[in-house]
Amino acid sequence: MTNRNPGRTPLVVTMLVLLALWVLLPLGLSRHHVDLLNFAAILGIGGLGVGLLLGQCGIVNLGQAAFFGIGAYASAWCTTTLGWPASAAMATGAVISAAIAAVIGYPILRLSGFFLALATLAVGSIASVLFFEWDWLTGGTLGIGGVPKLSLLGWTLDTPERFYYFVWPVLALALWLAQNLVGGRPGLAMRAMRDAAPAAEVMAVDMHRLKTQMFVLCAVLGSLAGSLYSHYVSFVSVQSFTVERSIFFLLVPVIAGAHSVPGIVAGALFVALIPELLSGLGDFHQVVFGLLLVTVVTLMPGGLMGLLGTLRGQGGRR
Amino acid sequence: MGPEHGRTDAAGAAALSQGASTLVLQGIAHSFGGLQVLRKVDIEVPAGRLVGLIGPNGSGKTTCFNIASGFLRQNAGRVLLDDQDISASSVQARSRAGLVRTFQAPKVFDQMTVLENLMVGAHKSTRTGMLGAMLGTRGARAEQAATRELAERCAQRFGIDALLPTRAGLLPAGQRRIVELARACMGRPRVLLLDEPSSGLNSEEIEVLRRWIRELNRDGLTVFLVSHDMGLMTVCDTVHVLYFGEVIASGSLADVQADARVREAYLGI
Repeated sequence: MTNRNPGRTPLVVTMLVLLALWVLLPLGLSRHHVDLLNFAAILGIGGLGVGLLLGQCGIVNLGQAAFFGIGAYASAWCTTTLGWPASAAMATGAVISAAIAAVIGYPILRLSGFFLALATLAVGSIASVLFFEWDWLTGGTLGIGGVPKLSLLGWTLDTPERFYYFVWPVLALALWLAQNLVGGRPGLAMRAMRDAAPAAEVMAVDMHRLKTQMFVLCAVLGSLAGSLYSHYVSFVSVQSFTVERSIFFLLVPVIAGAHSVPGIVAGALFVALIPELLSGLGDFHQVVFGLLLVTVVTLMPGGLMGLLGTLRGQGGRR
Repeated sequence: MGPEHGRTDAAGAAALSQGASTLVLQGIAHSFGGLQVLRKVDIEVPAGRLVGLIGPNGSGKTTCFNIASGFLRQNAGRVLLDDQDISASSVQARSRAGLVRTFQAPKVFDQMTVLENLMVGAHKSTRTGMLGAMLGTRGARAEQAATRELAERCAQRFGIDALLPTRAGLLPAGQRRIVELARACMGRPRVLLLDEPSSGLNSEEIEVLRRWIRELNRDGLTVFLVSHDMGLMTVCDTVHVLYFGEVIASGSLADVQADARVREAYLGI
């Protein structure tokens, strides 16, 4: 019998190393750094949706903060005002996000390129304004406080360490599902659509439907990230759902290399950790972060994962 | 990579073909703004036959093809597939009905491997949705494995099995053309529309292509071929000559070559 996947053994070893790293990492880090890792995981979940659209469908989404906000407010409002359990609130946020994404996505996904990117930017901007104006629902700039911490089997996730052991498996699960999707029939159709749309049409790929489904999936991931964020920080306000947040979500796959699903982790860690690590530089840290971004995008068009692939290739040739 | 190198047994042929259909373009007229590109074009491509369409640049060949495949809606006339009016059908619906085309510049999926390119070819005959793919259900995995096997068999038949792991964008023009042809066959077409398939190929590659076209037609496929390459047209049973949007001659290649209007209009002699 031929071995169809000779690369499986190194993969298993890598997975075991990552698993050990995941278990041991919080033991050697300060609470602040574990906190940053939690934000990286949340950013990774929201960024994964944007990455699937960008890397597999070639769609730039600049409106993910809208769905991040919907998820966050749904969780905050339903748990604090209605007293719902967190899971029901989270599901409500996901359903609302999916419905809004389907209604908005259906017309705007007929656009392409810059026009579509601008349309998603408009979605994010409008949502940001509505979050501010509808203060009866969102609390406006005062926000909604007292969002309960998540509980799992009677275990309250009230410390960064506890939340860490919950949120990273959620990200891992989302990555696994996304990886399956990309390798499966819809993933092949998406990449075909991205590479040569007319040929994909001839292969009977329903491009508009596929794009809409992916936009909905992206929104659901954004909403899930927002719900987790809301429960983690226990407070949500409009400042967290600006266009700048959408750009951060977009940076995740751009830095990672948009075609790579596991690379999302590298992108999320970069976007969440680097600014913090640079903060010791004082006022200049944002300038340095900006320069770093420009460097990565210019010198590594395939992102961090592209660089890794190149290095691997060179290692192989040696 | 010619047909004699690949597997041509009945099982392979059966996997890639589901019979032939008749395509009819009836009174097709089309204009871009004030420019009349096609005027009442009538072409029949009978089931199992190999029909060619030739004409000088700008004669309306590609417009005709775009109308047949659904990329363009005609101003007047009808497109019939086995007597069914498909004039209002989308490209995807026509493809599901068995009408599959290739492009003048081969449109392979550049960043995907040859194997993945071929697997996309089977898209319309597979069903796995988003949820099934994400969860990696047993049905999804079984379907994926079956598609992969069919793609490998198809690649074997076309003699491109060694290229399966190669990124399609890295292939030279001749191999891209064969990959495009193999991918079209993965969708089990009933009518295959080939748009200038010899463009960008050298004489050796054209010869391979010619043999493939014949082979596919022998398997029972209806083939409608657009080209300005007279050499390639020798494979056709019937040839239609298009000139300024009108069919000025139809018949065997020898007949149309002997036609005085064709000699004047197309060959310039």
